[in-house]
Amino acid sequence: MSARENILARIRSANKVGEVSDVIGGSVTDRLTSHPESPMPDLTWDTNEKFKQRCEDAASTLDEIGQVGDVPEAVNRYLTENNLPTSLVCWPEFENLTWSDSNIQVESRSAVGDDKVGLTGSYCAVAETGTLVLLSGQDHHATTSLLPETHIAVVRRDRVVKTMEEAWHLIRSEVGSLPRQVAFISGPSRTADIEMTLVYGAHGPFRVHVIIVDQ
Amino acid sequence: MEITSQDFKAVSSAKLKDEKLQKALFQAKDGFVVSRAKVIKDLDNFEDIRQAASEVRDHCLAHLDEYLEAWEVRAQASGTVVHWAESYEELNAIVVKIAQNNQVKKIIKSKSMVGEETGLNEYVEGHGIEVKETDLGEYIIQQAGEYPSHIIAPATHKSKEDVSELFAKKHQRPRLNDAEKLTHEAREILRPHFLDADMGITGANFMIAETGSTVIVTNEGNGRMTTTMPRVHVAISSIEKCIPTLDDFALMMRLLPRSATGQVISNYVSMTTGPKREADLDGPGEFHVVILDVGRTRVLGSELRDALRCIRCGACMNHCPVYQNVGGHAYGWVYPGPIGSVLTPAYNGIENAIDLPNAATLCNQCGVVCPVKIPLPDLMRKLREKQYEKNLKSKTERWSLKVFAYVAIRPQLYSIVTRVMARAGKILGGNSGQIKRMIFVGQDWTKHRDLPTPRGRTFRDVYLNKKKTSKR
Amino acid sequence: MRVGLFVTCLADVMRPSIGLAAVDLLERAGCQVIFPENQTCCGQPAYNAGDRLTAQELARKVVSEFADVDYVVIPSGSCGGMIKAHYEDLFSDLPKYKAKAQWLSARTYELTDFLVNVVHMNSFETSFQGTITYHDSCAGLRELNIKQQPRQLLRTLPNVELREMPGAEQCCGFGGTFSVKYGDISSRIVDLKCDDLEGTEADAVVLGDLGCMLNIEGKLRRRGNHKTKVLHIAEVLTGRNGEEAE
Repeated sequence: MSARENILARIRSANKVGEVSDVIGGSVTDRLTSHPESPMPDLTWDTNEKFKQRCEDAASTLDEIGQVGDVPEAVNRYLTENNLPTSLVCWPEFENLTWSDSNIQVESRSAVGDDKVGLTGSYCAVAETGTLVLLSGQDHHATTSLLPETHIAVVRRDRVVKTMEEAWHLIRSEVGSLPRQVAFISGPSRTADIEMTLVYGAHGPFRVHVIIVDQ
Repeated sequence: MEITSQDFKAVSSAKLKDEKLQKALFQAKDGFVVSRAKVIKDLDNFEDIRQAASEVRDHCLAHLDEYLEAWEVRAQASGTVVHWAESYEELNAIVVKIAQNNQVKKIIKSKSMVGEETGLNEYVEGHGIEVKETDLGEYIIQQAGEYPSHIIAPATHKSKEDVSELFAKKHQRPRLNDAEKLTHEAREILRPHFLDADMGITGANFMIAETGSTVIVTNEGNGRMTTTMPRVHVAISSIEKCIPTLDDFALMMRLLPRSATGQVISNYVSMTTGPKREADLDGPGEFHVVILDVGRTRVLGSELRDALRCIRCGACMNHCPVYQNVGGHAYGWVYPGPIGSVLTPAYNGIENAIDLPNAATLCNQCGVVCPVKIPLPDLMRKLREKQYEKNLKSKTERWSLKVFAYVAIRPQLYSIVTRVMARAGKILGGNSGQIKRMIFVGQDWTKHRDLPTPRGRTFRDVYLNKKKTSKR
Repeated sequence: MRVGLFVTCLADVMRPSIGLAAVDLLERAGCQVIFPENQTCCGQPAYNAGDRLTAQELARKVVSEFADVDYVVIPSGSCGGMIKAHYEDLFSDLPKYKAKAQWLSARTYELTDFLVNVVHMNSFETSFQGTITYHDSCAGLRELNIKQQPRQLLRTLPNVELREMPGAEQCCGFGGTFSVKYGDISSRIVDLKCDDLEGTEADAVVLGDLGCMLNIEGKLRRRGNHKTKVLHIAEVLTGRNGEEAE
């Protein structure tokens, strides 16, 4: 018999021993298809305010703009104010915005090791934790939010949901099966592995800048 | 990994005297315990959520075969290659085979405790393949040739000075003296490896049956790098990590980061479902998952079953008064602290870790912070019962117990013995009210502290005599 | 109301004043105190050492000795926890005793819990005055939820100031046989406890468990601290000084 068969057989016989606690009960198929929610914490807060608060808690910075067309201006403002490099790689959806008024060099491609700034959208965002939800895909390179030292993410205000459960609900209804990677990003990369001292920029971005767009 | 838990007593005594370690442990304790306490407050129904998570974990375990099969079907449908391993050797061999099939020369690795169990790095390197640990803590101890002392903060036993010295030597660069500079030096050193490694190995915090996915939870971003950059990605996991649905995962995520690091969420939660899709521009072309069962099914059928609910947050060790003072290495295997005191004997045989279930005050601080309500003290007590049944307890302890039991079930004898003890103790203590030195078992008490003296008479004698007198 | 006093073996041998104080308190609350004379030990040492059969034997003894009282009161969180939180498991394979253990468990109270929640006692005659810091014993706190009860009682004393220490809920490192089997670890843990309680500069550390008491007092004295009193809460509430054996 294969390792697989052996292991499954051992699980079955182990689960026949004594009392197996299962308060939830019900069938596996039922749970997998109905995916019931567990007890939720208090969610009566304002989604927008909570998201902003949690982003700041996670050490992301924030900007709010009226429309996607304002992204170049907002990006320019952020990079200039923070003395950051002004060339960036972005997801294709931002390539054709009007960048000419800014002095930013824009390339639409996957990021490589030397890129300093990456501009991405986000599928949705979770207010409870200040989290960006990025789905990998044809026009959504995973490296853009990962390799550069600065990650700028554009989030549409109406795509900010309260909880991770709501994000899953959206993905199930809009996307269906999951893409290769679902990345939940909450602020810049960090570590505290040396004497519990918090340091940003462990392996991923040093900075995450979230631009919330109204329309 | 080789088990050295039988040296617990000697090693823990040495660790108590290691001042550098003591300082590091003190910092870690403060950080973890205080942050957790703060962050659980923002969940008004934290206890309900804990209860629910514990029930979900029980439910998974009760139907583990079905959930694993459901997970496998969906994983395969998304292009994942699934492997099963019944021994450490088998898992290691599968990983090397995958590497060899893909002409892999360099592997980058994100932290995996299962990998620590199987001794994966050593094995892979033995086959001429380079492995780079990328979690900063794991990188530090790999450079130092050590093993983790904590499941989420592997290098927590190391001081900044240790790291500073180590990096200067290994990186051949000037010595740096602050945590930020050291972290960024490691980033600089490791970045090229992320870019040119052929294969990435990660663990998996969870496998999600609903979607056939694996998830890793990290703060540094090395996990996302490892699952994204190389051509091949191998996730190694163990059977009990399977949970039913994405909603169940969301539930676990309200607890795991809070309990582990005191964060509302960890920075990067990366869920992988299969290799890169045809149109994707990045991501590995092959994705393998190796699922291990060493010891798990045996524990599933035993009275230690509840331990399999563990989601590896480390809260039990962070809050354990014993761990806080001796650190993780004293426990002598992969998992330290209370969960280690259960899993180490459970997976390796109780005769190979006699001290662990006994080296606990049963204060239950671990039990009350466990996000999935594992009754750790009860499980340690069950292991003590097993030791007793198998005659693995020391002669002194067995005989002390026998004498105690003989007396305690004979009230007449008991009242005489206690009367003598109360009298003799008072005399021994003299005027100071403290006994400074005892012999036999007692010397292990008075070696470290005084024993307040008895008051000369037992309560029984005083009270019954008083009652008699007042009746008269 | 017939209240059985389970005095505990440690109080019996080491510090009878705790038992006497408990009797005083119960009688003042109007209880008829029953002291079953054959009582010895609740079985916890054997239970925690893995000797289930001996533990069962002792537990059966306790169950039968306290079969005809309305309540059982114990001046110890640890022994109280044994009866309330563990007897049921101990008798899990002996249905006849399991039912009796459940009956007993429902009637068993740690002393301060009984004073606060059953007899609602809120005034005490005590000569004690000074500042107090309270150490939460592990079993009392985490098995029986004894946290507010002792504090509530202490706050009724006009001449007592309660001053919390950091880490009041942290284990003192006693752990029964742990204190001798792993003496150096135990010693370190209790040293930290002593640091915390000395930091409050309280006149007394007060607690509800004999094990912690011996451990903490023994450590304080060994450290050369002869000043900080170590008292059981029953002693404080009655003004018994802990020295007497009458």
